[in-house]
Amino acid sequence: MAWDSEGTLAALGEASVPRSTTQRRKRRSVALRRWSAGYILIAPAILLIILMMVYPVFQTIYFSFSKVQLPALRTTFVGFDNFVRILRDPETGPLFYRTLVWVIGGVALRMILGLGAALVFNAKVRGTVWMRVLVILPWAIPSVVGANLWRWIVQADAGVLNQTLRSWGLGHWALNWLGSPDTAMWTVIVAYAWGGFPFVMLLILARLQGLPEEINEAAKVDGANWWQIFRYITLPSLSGVLMIALILEIVSGINSFDTLMIMTGGGPANATMIWGIKIYKTGFTEFNLGGAAALSVLMFVGMLAVFAVYGIANARVRKRQEDAL
Amino acid sequence: MTMTNALAGPGRMIRRRSFLTRRSLGTTGRYVLVYGLGMLFVLFSILPLLWGVTTALKVPSEIYAFPPTWIPKTFTFDNFIAVFHNKSLIRAFFNTLLIASATTVVALIVGMLGGYGFSRYRIPGRNTLLWSVLLTKLFPRVVVIVPFFVTLRNLQIMNTYQGLILVYLMVTFPVAIWLLKGFFDKIPKEIEEAAIVDGCSLPQLLWLVVLPMARPALVAVAMYSFILAWNEFLFALVFTNGLERRPLSVALAFFIDENGIQWGQLMAASVIMSLPAILVFTLAQRMLVRGLSDGAVKG
Repeated sequence: MAWDSEGTLAALGEASVPRSTTQRRKRRSVALRRWSAGYILIAPAILLIILMMVYPVFQTIYFSFSKVQLPALRTTFVGFDNFVRILRDPETGPLFYRTLVWVIGGVALRMILGLGAALVFNAKVRGTVWMRVLVILPWAIPSVVGANLWRWIVQADAGVLNQTLRSWGLGHWALNWLGSPDTAMWTVIVAYAWGGFPFVMLLILARLQGLPEEINEAAKVDGANWWQIFRYITLPSLSGVLMIALILEIVSGINSFDTLMIMTGGGPANATMIWGIKIYKTGFTEFNLGGAAALSVLMFVGMLAVFAVYGIANARVRKRQEDAL
Repeated sequence: MTMTNALAGPGRMIRRRSFLTRRSLGTTGRYVLVYGLGMLFVLFSILPLLWGVTTALKVPSEIYAFPPTWIPKTFTFDNFIAVFHNKSLIRAFFNTLLIASATTVVALIVGMLGGYGFSRYRIPGRNTLLWSVLLTKLFPRVVVIVPFFVTLRNLQIMNTYQGLILVYLMVTFPVAIWLLKGFFDKIPKEIEEAAIVDGCSLPQLLWLVVLPMARPALVAVAMYSFILAWNEFLFALVFTNGLERRPLSVALAFFIDENGIQWGQLMAASVIMSLPAILVFTLAQRMLVRGLSDGAVKG
C-alpha cells in the first residue's frame, strides 16, 4: 500500500473546485486515496471493535439460546430454555431486588457525598486545597486495595471498627459486618461509596468553578440567603453535570464487581449477590456459559432501559430549561 | 467533635469583640463551616487509608492489639520485607508491570493512529465509528466476560499475556482514541500541510511531526492506560488461572495462606500497589476528569 503524500495532503487542505473532467477524475482518485489513508489509520481500532464488540455481541446472543458444553464449547440450540430457567428461578426476584438496592443505595450515597464535598470545597476559603487533594485519594487507589482495606476495617474480631466501639464501651454495637446477611450489603455500599464519591465531587467541582461569581453576588445584594442561592441558582446550573454523573454512576453501579466480589463474594447466604456477580458465578464457577450469556443479555436489556429512561428524563430537563429561558 | 469545638470558638470570640462587623462575622462563620465540614470529608476519606498504612508498619501482636493503636508503638518494615520475599507476589507484580506496560504501548499506537485518522480524515461512516468506539467503553464489562472468554479460547490465548493485553486494551483504547482525537482537533493543520509540501510521507509525518506535537496528550493517555491496566481485576480474574500469569490485583484479592489472612503483609502489599496509582492520579487529576466525563468509567 502506497502512502501517497499528495492524497493525504488533499485531505488537510481545502481543495479548489475542479474545472475539467480530467481534474474531476483526478480529484475523485485523490479522494479515494485519502479515504483509504484514513481507513488505514483507524484500521486497528476497527479491528478491535469487530473482534471485541461486534463478534462478542453475536456470540452472547447465540450462547443465550444454547446449551454450552465445556471444555470443547460444543453448543446445542435450546431455544428460550436458558431464559425460562432464569425467570422460573425463585432466586431471580431477590437477585433483581438486591441489584436495585445496591445500585440505588450506592449511587445515592456517592452523589450525596460528592455533591456535599463539591459545595464545601468550592468555597473560596484559603488553605482548603490540601484538603481537596486528600479527599481525592480514595478514588485514586485501586479498587482491589480499597476492598481489602474495608474488609480489614470491618473484620468482626480484630477489625478497627469493632475494636474502637468496644474500647468506647459500645461493644453491643460491634457487629459481624460482612458475616451477617443483615449488615453485609450496607457495609459494602459504604465501602463502594467511599471509593467513588471523589469522582462525583471532581465532576461537580469542575462545573462549579466555571460558574460566574457575579450572579451569586447580585442575588446576595438582593437579599437572597444561602439556601435560596443554592436552590434557585446553583442547583439549576448543575443539572447538566448532575445528570452526567448520575448516568455514569448508575452504569458503573450496575456493572460493579470488584468491591463486592472481594469483600463478600456475593455472600453471606447470597445477601450481596447482585446481577453482575451472578453472571460470573454462573459462568465461571458453575461453568454454565449458556445461563451466564442469558443473564448477560437480560442485564444488557435492563441497561438499555436505563439509558432510555435517562434519555427521556434528560430531554424533559432540557425542555424545562428552555421553557424557563 | 472537631466541628463542635470549632463552631463554639468564633461565637465566643464575637461576643467578646462586639466591634466586629456583621460582614466579618459571616466570613468567620463561613471559614468555620467550610473547615469543619471539609475536615469531616477528609477524615472519612483518609482514616481508612491511614489505618491500612499503620497496619502495614506494625508487628503482628500489635495488629490484633486491644485497644487498637493508631500510631504503631514499634515500627517495623518486616511486612514489606516479607512481601518482597514472597515469590508469588513478586511474580504477580512482574506480571502486572508487563501487562500494564504492553497494554499502554499498544493503546498509544492504536489511539494515536485512530485519533489522528478520526480527526483529520472526513471518511464515510466516521461518526458511526467514533460512537462505536465510545460504546465499546460503555459496554458493561460483566456482560462481556462470557463472549471474551470464548474469543480468547478460539484465539487460543487463554491464560497468556497476549490474551490479557487484548482484553485490557478494550478498556483503554477507546479513551486513548477520544482523548487524542480531541487533542488533534485543537491543533492547527498548517504545520502538517507545510511538512507535506516539503515531501513528507504519511509515516514520516506521523513520526516526525505529529508525534512530537502530541507528546503531552500521549503522556496523559499513557498514564491513564497504565493505571487502568494496573488496577484491572475482573478480566484478570476470569482469564487467568494458576499463579503463572496472575496479576497483582488477583493475587491481593486471594491473599491467604494456611494461617489465614496476614493482614500486615496484605496491607504492605496494598500500599505498594497503590503508590503508582496515587502518583498518577494526583499528577493528572484534571485531565483525567475531562477524559472520564467524556464517557469512561472507573470501577
